[in-house]
Amino acid sequence: MTLEAGASRPAAPPLRRALTTALNLPPAVYGTVLLLLAALILRPVLLGPIFFLAIVGQAAPLGMVALGQSLVMRCRSIDLSIAGVFVVSDFIVTSGYFSSWPGAALIGLCLLFGATVGAINGVLITRVRASAVIVTLGMSIVLVGVVVAFSNYSQPGEVPAFLRVIGSGDVHGVPISLLIWFAIAIPTGLGLGRSVYGSYLSAVGANPQAAALSGIPYLRIVFIAHVVSAVFATIGGLLLAGFVGLGSTTLGQDLVLNSIAAVILGGINFGGGAGGTFGPMAGAFMLTFLFNFLNSFGLGEPAKYMMQGGIIAVAAWIYALGKR
Amino acid sequence: MLLGRNSRSGVSLVTLGIPLTLVGLLIATTAHYFLSWENLTNLSGQMTALLIVSFGQLLVALVAGLDLSVGSVMSLATCVVASDSPLWITIPIALAIGIVVGLVNGSGVALLGIHPIIMTLSTMTFLQGAAYLLRAVPGGHVPDMLASSARGSFLGVPDSLLWSVICALVLAWLLYRSRFGLHLFATGGNPVSARLNGVNAVRVCISAYVLCSVFAVLAGLFLSARIASGDPAAGQSFGLDSVTAIALGGTQLSGGVGGVIGAITGTIALGLASNGMNLLNVSPFLQSAAKGLLLIFAICAQRRSTVGL
Repeated sequence: MTLEAGASRPAAPPLRRALTTALNLPPAVYGTVLLLLAALILRPVLLGPIFFLAIVGQAAPLGMVALGQSLVMRCRSIDLSIAGVFVVSDFIVTSGYFSSWPGAALIGLCLLFGATVGAINGVLITRVRASAVIVTLGMSIVLVGVVVAFSNYSQPGEVPAFLRVIGSGDVHGVPISLLIWFAIAIPTGLGLGRSVYGSYLSAVGANPQAAALSGIPYLRIVFIAHVVSAVFATIGGLLLAGFVGLGSTTLGQDLVLNSIAAVILGGINFGGGAGGTFGPMAGAFMLTFLFNFLNSFGLGEPAKYMMQGGIIAVAAWIYALGKR
Repeated sequence: MLLGRNSRSGVSLVTLGIPLTLVGLLIATTAHYFLSWENLTNLSGQMTALLIVSFGQLLVALVAGLDLSVGSVMSLATCVVASDSPLWITIPIALAIGIVVGLVNGSGVALLGIHPIIMTLSTMTFLQGAAYLLRAVPGGHVPDMLASSARGSFLGVPDSLLWSVICALVLAWLLYRSRFGLHLFATGGNPVSARLNGVNAVRVCISAYVLCSVFAVLAGLFLSARIASGDPAAGQSFGLDSVTAIALGGTQLSGGVGGVIGAITGTIALGLASNGMNLLNVSPFLQSAAKGLLLIFAICAQRRSTVGL
């Protein structure tokens, strides 16, 4: 039976629609539900309000980085320079060189630096057309090497007090880092859904050639995505520095891989996905909760690494299966 | 058509020029020491592990893939060999691990369509955890038969050079004299055309990843002989270093272009740069920053039209 022009299929029954929506949810949602159930049975103390909110606050740095990473992955690129950005902003706030600067100026300097790194990444990727993986990884190595070489001659400094309050303080039990994370993530999510940039981003990710031929400023979209990703990573780095409280040259090394895992768990893969902004947020929370859960059993570093690797692979596999 | 702009070996003035310039510079500044037997043997020993790993990376890069897990495979191999069991047990186990890892990587990339970076990043992390599980800190004892096979010399030639030459010959035979090599270049150059011509792209891809991991295990065995212990972090830098080496040597990461000569010149260039920086007493952190810059430069020198990954 052929359909005439303008005819439409009858709407699917409500149960079917609900089932389809449920199946299209990002893997992070299922993972979180499973984890919460497991915690309920095995470690109910983690679900108490204080602990729970603390864990969500702890997920804020990863959440910020995952947010930026999701933008970049949506347009078929990747940002692996996160470790370098973290180390540099950590250096800026904890080394003695800038201790006389007011707090706002310090943060401004960090953000400016982050934007510069993102801009360099963007130029190399869009103009020189270099491979994003290698360029961002190389950038990270250069930044970490330079900073570690410089800071090798001085003691790790303390993070300024105001940053420590932001990173580990709370307002009536709600961590400030959580508030900052949500304050940036929610408008970003709403904005992407309603803005021209958001539509262009989806178009570029879905089919770059078609987008370019349609007149969409393809290169500018990717460039902006990289700058925003680096700035978000800087904010995440400042939050983490505030949480840790002391200068460190190894800050955030494993956050790079975790951010990719969080984004994939959030339903976004290279070139797009239905996860939106909520997906990576759920992914970041799920991973942080998982690591806290594993820590509570006394599982050490090796198990953590193996879990990380396993999760990324399984998440990518599920996504690949779903695409068929 | 070995050389020239459209050759499939990737060799060009740049790839040959960089190592030659570096050699020239080093000889000019430290002539008497650089050309001494001791330094050359040392250089050869330092570069062999990277060379063997780069050979494996070349195979995967030819099919437009990337294997970042080679470093962890190397570390795991050193830990396996440095355990207290005899060699006739540990070496087959290490090789088996390499084959399994290669199968997992290859299946993920070719059968499931997972991007090589994601797949090999996840294997890398998983294997790094396994290496730490096997041996938390560097230690252990490598059986003498293996340890001495990389230190001494045989008929006047340093053992490390023998390892390199044998692996290079095996790779050259694989690439240029076997049907597998032909299929490899075909799949990398134009996957659709290769498939229409009857080449099984999935099988070629998986084989490339398996061989890459096996080469990584061999490099790990050599490394364990050199450091005479098991170290779960021994191979960490080799993942990216091998990519730098083959990129410097003219291999296109988009597939289809690359060769043994390129891998060798790239490794020599990287090894000479490290050796030169050591002789100049550059801090190891600045050295890694310099290697990062070299990586970015090598990648930017490759022409491509895709934006992003």
